[in-house]
Amino acid sequence: MRISTQTLFQQNVNSLNRQQGAFLEIGQQIASGKRVSKPSDDPQAASRAVGVDQAKAVTQQYMDARVSARNALSQSESVLNSASDGITRAKTLLLQASSDTLGDVDRNSVASELKGLYESLLGQANSTDGNGRYLFGGYRDNAPPFAKDAGGQVQYEGDTRNREQQIDASRKMPVTDSGADIFQSVHASADLLAKADGGNAGNVTYGSPLTTDLSDPAYGEAHRIVFSDDGAGGFDYEIFDAGGASVQTGAYSEGLRIEVAGMAVELEGTPADGDELTLGRATEMEPDLFRTLENAIAVLEEPADTPAKKAALRNTLNTGLRELDNAQDNILTVRASVGARLNELEVVDSVAGNRMLNYEQTLSDLVDLDYVEAAADYSLRQVGLQAAQKAFVDIQGISLFDLM
Amino acid sequence: MSLFSIGVSGLNAAQNALATTGNNITNVYTPGYNRELTLLGEGRGGSGGVQVQDIQRQFNQYVAGQLNAATSKSSALNTYQGQISQIDSLLADRDAGLAPLMQNFFSSLEDLAGAPSDPAARQGMIGTADTLSAQFRSFDGYLEDLQGGVNGLIRDEITQINNATEELAYLNREIALARARSGEAPNSLLNQRDHLVHEMSERLDLRLQIQDGKSYNVSLPNGQPLVAGTQAFTLEAVAAPDDPERTVVGYRDAAGNRVILAEDVIQGGTLGGIMTFRAESLDRVQNQLGQMAVSLAEAFNVQHGKGIDLNGDAGGDMFGLGQPQAYRHDDNASAAYLEPAFGTYSDPVGGPGDLTNLAATGYDVVYDGADYVVTRQDTGETLDPADVDLTGGVLSFGGLEITVQNGPPGAGDRFNVQPLKGAAGGMDNLIADTSKIAAGEEDFSGDNRNALALQELQDKPVVGGGATLNQAYGALVSDVGNRTNIVKVNAEAQQGLTDQLSAVQQSESGVNLDEEAANLMRYQQYYMANAKVIETGTTIIDTLLNLRS
Repeated sequence: MRISTQTLFQQNVNSLNRQQGAFLEIGQQIASGKRVSKPSDDPQAASRAVGVDQAKAVTQQYMDARVSARNALSQSESVLNSASDGITRAKTLLLQASSDTLGDVDRNSVASELKGLYESLLGQANSTDGNGRYLFGGYRDNAPPFAKDAGGQVQYEGDTRNREQQIDASRKMPVTDSGADIFQSVHASADLLAKADGGNAGNVTYGSPLTTDLSDPAYGEAHRIVFSDDGAGGFDYEIFDAGGASVQTGAYSEGLRIEVAGMAVELEGTPADGDELTLGRATEMEPDLFRTLENAIAVLEEPADTPAKKAALRNTLNTGLRELDNAQDNILTVRASVGARLNELEVVDSVAGNRMLNYEQTLSDLVDLDYVEAAADYSLRQVGLQAAQKAFVDIQGISLFDLM
Repeated sequence: MSLFSIGVSGLNAAQNALATTGNNITNVYTPGYNRELTLLGEGRGGSGGVQVQDIQRQFNQYVAGQLNAATSKSSALNTYQGQISQIDSLLADRDAGLAPLMQNFFSSLEDLAGAPSDPAARQGMIGTADTLSAQFRSFDGYLEDLQGGVNGLIRDEITQINNATEELAYLNREIALARARSGEAPNSLLNQRDHLVHEMSERLDLRLQIQDGKSYNVSLPNGQPLVAGTQAFTLEAVAAPDDPERTVVGYRDAAGNRVILAEDVIQGGTLGGIMTFRAESLDRVQNQLGQMAVSLAEAFNVQHGKGIDLNGDAGGDMFGLGQPQAYRHDDNASAAYLEPAFGTYSDPVGGPGDLTNLAATGYDVVYDGADYVVTRQDTGETLDPADVDLTGGVLSFGGLEITVQNGPPGAGDRFNVQPLKGAAGGMDNLIADTSKIAAGEEDFSGDNRNALALQELQDKPVVGGGATLNQAYGALVSDVGNRTNIVKVNAEAQQGLTDQLSAVQQSESGVNLDEEAANLMRYQQYYMANAKVIETGTTIIDTLLNLRS
C-alpha cells in the first residue's frame, strides 16, 4: 500500500500520544495510590466502594454511639455503687437504733447521721453527666429529677422513660435508667410488707408478715386494716382490699393473727379508733427509698415517750429495715443490668472492630493500587514510550531528499 | 514533425510534470488536498511527440464517503466522551463528594441522639445540613453549567454549519461556472468542496447526493435538504417549544417555515454527540441527583415534622428544595397550564402522588380530550392509567401532585413536566436556630426518639421506594462510570476505524514525499533529456546549414 507522508507522520504522532497517555495514567495511579480514581476506571468497583464507604461510616456512627453510651452507663454504675454503699450504712444505723438500750439522745444522733446519708443519696439521685444533664431524669434531663416539696418530702419529678441509643445496626440500647426505677421501685420478688399509718394513736405493733396461700387471687395486693371502737371497751377491725371494698371484719384481741388474701400477720398492743395498718407485697406498697429514710428520721427525732410513739418507732424501724433491703436489692439489680449493657458494648465493639478491618480491606482491594503490578507496568510503559519516540525520530529522519 | 518540435513537446510535458510534482510537494500537509498525477499521452496526428492529457486529481468518492461517515461517528463519540468525562471527574473525589457529606450529616444525627439537647450537637447538625445542601447545590450547579454549555455548543455548531452550507452552495455555483467556461472544473475548487463536506461531517451526519455527477446536494439524515444545488437552507438554534431553557435545532424550509427537529434526528458529528450526551446522560444524571435531593429532603422533613422541638412546637421543614417545573407547549390551543408540587411520604404508602413513586425522569403529558396520557421521557414508556390519578383538578403521578390551572386543556394540548431539574439546585437548610431541631417526640430535653428515627432514614428505602440514599448514589456512580466507559471504548474503536479509513483514503489521495522526490529526479532527467533532443535537433539543423557554406 502507498503510505502518504501525512499518514506516516500522523500514525507516529498517534502512537506517541497513546504511549504517553498510558504512561501518564500509570504515573498518576502510582502518585495517588489509587487504581480507581474516577468511576469510569472501574464502574463496578467504584459503586461497590460507595456502598462499603457507607457501611464504614455507619459502623463508625455506631462506634461513636457506643462511646457515649459507655460514658453514660459507667457514670450510672459508679453512682449506683455509692448509693448501695449508702444504703448499707443506713441499714446498720437502723439496726443500731432498733436496740431497746438506746435512749432518745442516742436515737437523735443516729437520726442526724441518717439525715446526712439521706442528703447524700439525694445528691447521688440527682447526679449529672459531663454536660450537666441529669442522669436519672429519663427524658426530662434538664432539671433535678428528685426535689423536696413544701413538706420537705422528696418527690420524683423526672420522666420514667429511658433514653436509647442506636449502638449497632439492629440494637437500640437504653443508656439511662430513670430515678423512679432506681429509687422508687423494688424487684418483683420482694417479700410481704406491713406498714402502720403515721397518724396512729394506739400502740399496735406487728410481727413479720407471712405468706399462707400464694394461689389466692388477691394475694399481695395492698390491704388496709382499719380499727374501730366497738362501743363496749374493745375494738373491731375491718379489712379493705386494694379496690376499697370491705373483705373481712372481726373483733380485735391482743395477739390476734389476721389472715387475708393468702397473707397473715400477728398483731400486739392496743389500737385507737381509726388506726390503720397496711399489708401487702412490697411492690404494691409505694416503695420509695427517700420516704423510708424520711419516716425513719422522723421517728428517731421524736422522743419515744408514749406507748403510741414507741409502737411507731418499732413499726417504722421494722418496716424501714425491710424496705432498705428491698431498695438495695433493687439498686443492685439495676446495677447488674447496667453492667450487662457495658459488657454488651464491649462485645459489640470487638465485633465492629473486626468488621471495620474487613471494610478497610475490601475498600483497599476495590480501589487501591497494587504497587508491584503498577511498578512493572510503569517500566513497561516507559519502554513503550521510548520506543515510540525513537521510531518517530528515525522515520521522520529518513527522506529521499536528504540524498539528492 | 521535426525532432526539434518533438523535443519541445517533451520539454513542455516535463515542465508540467515537474509543476505537478512541485504542487504535490508544497501541498503535502494541506488539509483536503488530493495528490495529482500528470497523465501523458502520445502526440496526435502521427507526428510524434508527447502531450499532457490531464492533471488528474486522485480522489475516490466512495472511500471519501466512508471516511466522512466514520469521521461523523468519531466526532460524535469524542464530543460525548469529552462531556461525560466531566461528570465522571465530578464524581471522582470519594472524600469530598455527596456520599461522605451525607455520612457526615447522619453522623451528626447520631451525636444529636447521644445528647439531644446539647447545643453543640444541635449546631453540629445544622452545620452538616448546611454543607450537605451546599454540595447538592454546587453539584447541580455544575450540571446546570454543563446544560448551558450544551446550549452554547449547539448554537456555535449551527452557526458553523450554516456557514458551511452557504459556502458549499457557493462552491457548487463556482464549479458549475468554471465547467461552463472551460468544460472542466479546477482541481482546487473540487478539493475545497470535498474538504468542506468532510468538515461538515465532523459537525453532523449528513447524506451526500451528487446530482448529474457535478453538483453536491447535502441533506439531513431525515431527508430534509441543507444544500440543493446553489441553494442553502439554514438551521436555527431555538428554545424548545415546551422548555424555554433547552436549546434545540430548528430547520427553516423552502417556504420559510420553521420546523423543530426532534432531538434524535441528528446523531453524528459534534452536534449529534452533544445532543446525545444531553438526552442520554446529562438529563439522567441531573434527574437522579434531583431524585436524591427530593427523597432526602422530603423524607427528612416528614420525619422531622413528627418530632417536637425545644420550644414545644412540631418540627418545621429542615430542607427547602427547588420546585418542580411544568411548561405548556407553545402550540397548545388552550391557556391551561400545570402547577406541579411534590407529594409527600405517607404511611401507609398513598396513591400515585406518594413520593415513593418519584422517578428520575421528566414527563410528557398530553390531554386527549378526556384523559391525561403521561409518558416518561427517559424510557418513553406511557404510564399505566392506574398510576395516574385525577381528582378534583389535581393530577397525580410519579410522586407529583399537579394542579391544572385554567383547565381543562384543549384536546391534544401538550405539557412538559420537569420535576427534578432544579430540585437539588434549590436545596437549602431552613433551620438556623438550634432550638428548632425536633429531636424528641415529646417536649423533654432528653428525648432523643425522633433523632433516632431521623438517623434511621439512612437505611430506609426512601429513593423511588426501593433504594437507600447511599444505594441511589452508588447507582449514580455506577451509571456514570459505565456510560463513560462505554463511550470511551466505543470512541476508541471508532477512532481506530476512522484512522484506518483515513489511511486508505490517504494511500490513494495523499502525497508521499519520497515518491515525489523520485518523481522530481525522474522529471528533471526527463526535462534534461528533452532539452538534449532539442539540442540535437538544433545541431542537426546547424550541420545542414553548415553544409552550404
